[in-house]
Formats: sequence, structure tokens, C-alpha cells
Amino acid sequence: MRGARLSRWLIAAPMALLALATIYPLVFTGNAAMKTRRDYILDRFAFADTLRWDNIATAWTSAGTARYFFNSVIVVAGAVALLLLLGSMAGFALSHLRFRGSRALFLGCLAALFVPFQVIMVPLVRTMADTGLVDTYPGLILAYVAQYLPFTIYLMASYYSAIPAEIVDAARIDGNTTYGVYRRIMLPMGRPALLSVGVLNALFCWNDVLIALLMMPSAEHRTLMVGVTSLRGQYSADIPTFASGVLIAAVPVLAVYLFFQRRIADAVTAGSTKG
Amino acid sequence: MLIAPAVLVIVLFRLWPLLLGVNFSFTGDGERNGSAVGLDNYVELFADPLFLGALRNVGWLVLLLPIAVAIPGMLATFIYLRVPGHRFYRSVYFFPAVLSPVIVGSIFNLLLSFDGPVNSVLDLAGLGPVDWLGDSNVAMFTVVGVHVWATFGMSLVVFLSGFATLDPALLDAARSDGASLSQVIRHVIIPGLSRTIQFVFVTTMIGMLTSMFGLIYVMTSGGPGGSTYLPEYYIWIQQGQMNRPAFASAASTVLFLVMLVVGLAQVSFLRRTGRED
Repeated sequence: MRGARLSRWLIAAPMALLALATIYPLVFTGNAAMKTRRDYILDRFAFADTLRWDNIATAWTSAGTARYFFNSVIVVAGAVALLLLLGSMAGFALSHLRFRGSRALFLGCLAALFVPFQVIMVPLVRTMADTGLVDTYPGLILAYVAQYLPFTIYLMASYYSAIPAEIVDAARIDGNTTYGVYRRIMLPMGRPALLSVGVLNALFCWNDVLIALLMMPSAEHRTLMVGVTSLRGQYSADIPTFASGVLIAAVPVLAVYLFFQRRIADAVTAGSTKG
Repeated sequence: MLIAPAVLVIVLFRLWPLLLGVNFSFTGDGERNGSAVGLDNYVELFADPLFLGALRNVGWLVLLLPIAVAIPGMLATFIYLRVPGHRFYRSVYFFPAVLSPVIVGSIFNLLLSFDGPVNSVLDLAGLGPVDWLGDSNVAMFTVVGVHVWATFGMSLVVFLSGFATLDPALLDAARSDGASLSQVIRHVIIPGLSRTIQFVFVTTMIGMLTSMFGLIYVMTSGGPGGSTYLPEYYIWIQQGQMNRPAFASAASTVLFLVMLVVGLAQVSFLRRTGRED
């Protein structure tokens, strides 16, 4: 028993070290953002003695960060709203409505899940350019919806399939149309899944850089992540301001993570356990 | 009716472009825009050292894959066996997985620069300095290492959900028979989790092939000397920088085939080893 306890601690020690290695890079960045340039150069590791917000203010106002932040918020909000609407409608239809070709449609959605963006990006961007959608908010929103819809449908369908068919039948007997069943039964009952899937999709869209780079070539429409990629060049000699820009982009994600940790993990694993 | 808009979006913007792209890859760029060129793009592709380098890097990823799966697998095992502080580790390890590759890449640019903090710590220990991102023999491994740092929490959580389906009685039985930890892992956990392990193998490989663009873009831009190219980065360069969409489509088609082959090979390999147990 004694030996077992010892070996448990022998395992726990490297795990604690790894936990430190997981958190410290962000702590270092946050700490750098709070320092003056001089303090950073003198000692990178020492903790800042006061919280100084002027680097954050500089990064927010000078590098176009405020504008990019705003662009990201618009695009993420639009994409998530559309994803949840289309995903829950299709998820309901695929899990509860039997119609000709429903099985084929479900398989089609699954197939789309395995088509990576890199494989279709060239023709997709061309189609978007031909229809005048490149460099517009609706264009990027649509690109995100197309990218994450198969996954959203898959999760919503598997969540809805746990709702017994009797509930749907009863609602129909009460005189609801299919659309009525969706609005009055499925949408309210799907709330937990919608929240999880919504949070996950918001993270995906917020964090993306490849799709945004391709779809938003002009500087005024740049999203925050694309903005962050150019910070290093702009502030190569001013690490505290660079770190501040990175921090601005990371903080919303951190906040979401702290609030929705369980839901994110649940949504990530929901796809795997069905397998 | 409810499903129509979703189907429209998926067909129009996901399935149709796949066909369009394959078709597109047999046409020319620039002066030969739109005209059929047969296999010319593919011939040029396999003569380009940058693309061959990208494929060689894919080979490295396949070789490193077992490590990238084993790390979260081991950690999940320890968390499942309730090492002290397991609940804390679970949420800490997962946290980098929600950060954008752009943020992760920016942070590590800072930490791993030649005169950066990591090298100054190594210097204290009498080691280094290592040119993490500037040495063409090292840079690819640096980027993969950062990718694993950023994503192992995702696989960890998947492993833990697999453990939830494992019968605890089996574990207790093995333990009371005096099985050691490595015996428990080999004879109880690996056979019991074969589906989860299979799933993590496939998703980790897909992740390596399709979500390292942000890291490469921020950390190395494919350099030094083209040593950190992956197919996805190559496609982007050809499409966005070189303005050769048809040629880029050929590279896309090759990437799709590579992913298909790697995925199927893994599944059949894991099936076979699973059966032997």
C-alpha cells in the first residue's frame, strides 16, 4: 500500500509539471503585456509589480485591433445563429421525419464531414468570387456555415434522436404542423445541445485564420485572428504591446472556456462515443 | 422542407466544390486558363521539391502519430486511475485546445525566438541555445511539438469519455489479481478502449493534416528553406500567393487522396491488431 501511494505521487509530479507547461506560456504572455518595454528587457521572467493597462490600450487602438475585433464579433454571431437554425432544423428532420431519401441525406451529411476545407478551398473561393461574396460579411459567414454545418447537423441529429417519437406524434395530434413541432417542441427541448454546439462553433469561427485570410482580402474586413498574425511584424521591437494584442484575442476565448468548460468537453466527445 | 436550406448549403459549398476541384485540376492556369492540360499539373507537382518536401513532412507526421496518441492516452489513464489532483489536470490540460493556432503560434514565437526565454532557461542549465524556428532540421519538429502541446487535451477528453464506458469490475479484478500498471494497460485498458484509440488515431491524423496551417503561417511561413511545408500550406501558397488555382487544385486532390489512404490504412491496421488480442 505504501509503495502504491509512492508511485502515485511519482506519476503526479510529472503531471503537475506538464500542467505548469500548459499554463505558463499564457501567464508569461499576460505578464509581458503588463510590463514596460524597459522592464521586459531587463528581466522577462519577473512578475510585473503593478497592472499596467497602457500596452493593452496601445494594441487596441493603434494596430486596427478594435476594428478587427468588431469584424470578428459580427461574423461569429452571424455564423453561429445561422448554424444553429439550419443545424437544428436539419437535425430534427433527419432524426424524426421519415421521407424518401432521408437515409441518403444523412449519409451525405456524414460524407461532407470528411471533406476537409483545404481540399475544396480553391473552387469554393472561386465560386464565392464569381457570386461577389468575397470580401463581404455574408460571404465569410456563409463559408463558416458551410464548413461547420455537417458537424452541427450530426450532433443535433444524435441529440434529437434520443427524444421519443411519441412526443412528436402527440404534438401532431394536437394539431401542430411539422414546422409547429419544430418550433414548439424541438427548439425548446434542444436548448442544452444548442448551447454546447453554439459555443463550440463560436470558438471554431473565432479561432479560424485560413478561411478568413481567403475570404477577406481587404484590411477593413480583416478578422481579429488575421490581425494578430501581422502584430509580430508591427511590434517586433515592442514585445509588451505585441503580447497585449495576443492577449486581447485570447481573453474572450478564456472567458468562454471558464464558463462553458464542461459543455465544450461534452460537445467534443459527443461525436466520439457514438462511433 | 426543414432540411432543404442545410442540404443546399452543404451540396453547393462542400460537395460540389470537391467535384469542381478535381475537374479543375486537369486545366491550366494563366495563359492556358480553362483549357484542358491532362496530367500536366500532377507531373509538375511531383517534380516540385517544395511539394515533395511537404509529402516527406506528412511521412514524419505519420511516424510521430503514435507518440501524439500515446501522450494523451497515458495521461487519461492516470487521470482515470485518480492520481492526486486528477480533476485539476483534466481542465488544465484541455485549455490550450480552445486557443486559436494563431494565438498559440504567436505565444511560442515569443518563447522560442533565438534570444527568447526558452533558450535563456536552457542556457542556465548549460544547454543550447537551440535555433527552434531557424534551423531547417529542427523547425518542423518544433511546429509539430507546439501542435501537440495545443491539441493533446482534445484527445485526452475523448479518451476519458472512452474510459467511462469501460467496466470498472474488470479493472478491480485485474488489480486484485496483482496485475502491475503496465499489465493493466496492456490487457485491460487497450483492448477495452480499442474503438476510442482508433477514433483518436484518425482524428489526430486529420488534425495534423488540416489544422496546422495557422501555426505554420505564424511561426515559420513554411521556412526555413521550405522545410516546414505541409500540403495545406502549399495549396494556400499556390492559390493565394502564386495565383495558380488550377495547380493548387491538383495539390488539393493529392491531399484528399493522401488523407483517404492514411485513414483507411490506419483503420484496417488497427482492426487487425485489435483482433489479435
